[in-house]
Amino acid sequence: MKLSRLIVCMCALCMSLSLGAVAYAAPSAATAELQQGAAKAPAVADLQKGDPGGSLTGTINDVPVGDSKAGLTLVDVANQVGQNKIGINFTWTLITGFLVMFMQAGFAMVESGLCRVKNANHTYMMNFMVYACGLFAYWILGFTIQMGGAAGNGNLGGLQPLMSEHTLSLFGRTWGLFGQNGMFLAGHTYDVGVMVIFLFQMVFMDTALTIVTGACAERWKFLTFSISSVIMGAITYPLFANWAWGGGWLSQLGTNVGLGKGYCDFAGSGVVHAVGGLSALACALIIGPRIGKFNRDGSSNAIIGHDISAVLIGCFILAFGWFGFNPGSTLGASAAGCLRIGSVAVNTMLAGCTGTFGAFLYMWALKGKPDASMSGNGLLAGLVAITAPSGFVSTTGSAIIGLVAGVLVCLSVTFVENYMKVDDPVGAISVHGTCGLWGVLSVGLFADGTSNYGGSWNGVTGSVTGLFYGDASQLVAQLVGITTLVAIVFSITFVINWILDILVGQRVSIATEVAGLDIPEMGQLGYPEFVFKPEPEVLLAANQMAVA
Amino acid sequence: MAANKTQGQQLTIFMAGITSACAGIAYLSNGTGKVALVVGIVLLALAFWKFYSIKSLEGKIALESQPPLQKLMGLVVNIVGWLVVLLGIHLTPSVGGRMVAAILGLTISLFSIVIMLPTACNKNAIWKA
Repeated sequence: MKLSRLIVCMCALCMSLSLGAVAYAAPSAATAELQQGAAKAPAVADLQKGDPGGSLTGTINDVPVGDSKAGLTLVDVANQVGQNKIGINFTWTLITGFLVMFMQAGFAMVESGLCRVKNANHTYMMNFMVYACGLFAYWILGFTIQMGGAAGNGNLGGLQPLMSEHTLSLFGRTWGLFGQNGMFLAGHTYDVGVMVIFLFQMVFMDTALTIVTGACAERWKFLTFSISSVIMGAITYPLFANWAWGGGWLSQLGTNVGLGKGYCDFAGSGVVHAVGGLSALACALIIGPRIGKFNRDGSSNAIIGHDISAVLIGCFILAFGWFGFNPGSTLGASAAGCLRIGSVAVNTMLAGCTGTFGAFLYMWALKGKPDASMSGNGLLAGLVAITAPSGFVSTTGSAIIGLVAGVLVCLSVTFVENYMKVDDPVGAISVHGTCGLWGVLSVGLFADGTSNYGGSWNGVTGSVTGLFYGDASQLVAQLVGITTLVAIVFSITFVINWILDILVGQRVSIATEVAGLDIPEMGQLGYPEFVFKPEPEVLLAANQMAVA
Repeated sequence: MAANKTQGQQLTIFMAGITSACAGIAYLSNGTGKVALVVGIVLLALAFWKFYSIKSLEGKIALESQPPLQKLMGLVVNIVGWLVVLLGIHLTPSVGGRMVAAILGLTISLFSIVIMLPTACNKNAIWKA
């Protein structure tokens, strides 16, 4: 018995020693293999001859060595893999951010093209200056409110400096309200990952701001526009963006009260477009309609824009920029689920296509002409609507969402103008507000449960799934988000701009409005060598030719 | 009065004020931060006082007064809709019940921004005269 126990113990000792030897030998073997590989890599002399085929460039010799005495080790290779992942994601996020920035040019062309020539300089200049106003406000305060507590994104290296969210305990649960780290991007937030997310989020914010300029065009005092844009970039937009994207209470609806995966807005139908569209409605209500827009009986006059070519080219620029907006919202191309970028991009272009068809066919079939400006708005409506669901739906879903948006924008433009009596020269309230809300809602309907961005969304395990695929609670989360947009975002903007109206005044004088804002407000005509038609003739022609 | 030097100067003071105030909040824990915050608030107050004092020089605008009480009522109803949604989430754990509360709250809020506030803002609209 004793002998058998001794034999067993000896065997166990031998096995553990041999396993230990293997475990000890494994890294050495790997390191040796790496060093062999390094020895076989192309020599400097080979590289000096040039590498037309590309087979000699980018080899093991390009992996940085941590300790030159030890040579290349597995740790060096693993570090390089990590750097490559983050590098790919940084590059992806920055380039898509640059695309979104270029959308400002598209907005400028669309909005100015839809305005009269006498206000062209003013409208272009609002679109130009909103970039500076928004960026500055976002740097000094807005980014902090939005992303100051948004640490934890592994795609961009963790973003650990952004770790402070102000919270509120209510009904036994903790709810995020606003971030606290990142003012002026100073201190710990002077960080490579933070800079990338700042740039990307900043251009999104600026998109929301520039929506308002369209709805208030041709009568907004430039001074008040500047102040209003700074405040919106510093407070209004970042607050809702924090609730949805920065770890705030809307994103916690899943973890805290079991509503689906919380409020889901992949790229910003709600955060960007509905915020912009509802802010545009609030401002347009306070500013009032342009002179000549409505008759005494309440009927409206179509005031035709001066440059349809600028409008349609602007729409194409926006559609191009949207490939940054939606696929870029994965915040990476090398991480769990990020390979869905192809699907996101295809969904984006499909919804734009069906949105165009929706508006184009609606106008042609019901109004008699394939209206160019409404076709352009249909494209934008489809793109706006697919922005929230683009990462969660199939191509069929995206086509339906876009088509509905294309028709919806035509109905909404008529409703806003003829029933609400709100003057929106470019249709911004309908394109971004109405279709933005439709996009948020459509996540709760069409999300097909196939997306997998690391196994969870907003801290809830599983994929985002809508009503049509079995999860009704996701639709409730989306409805909570929509009501928050309609009630809170709208009200904040309304109150801020109401106060600005009292203190600064929102609207230019009658004389300025009739003359056109270019000379009084900007000091220069947009097109100084154009010959202006008298206003009544323009209006008469507009009434005769209008199809909308 | 269109855009002029006074507006430009006061906008400069506004920008300086908001920057200083934010810097003050960022560094509130030290003395310089507190000074920056006070300076910022003073500059902002100065800018808005000046904005207000030159507002009347703008000349007549194509907009009559909008009844403030009616506008406030619209805003209150809007917020009530949101509160209905929030209460609905906490009052019942059932998805159906929460859905009903969410739709009800959204309807109330939409009624405010689609009917009440446009009616208030257009009550004395210049095109009606």
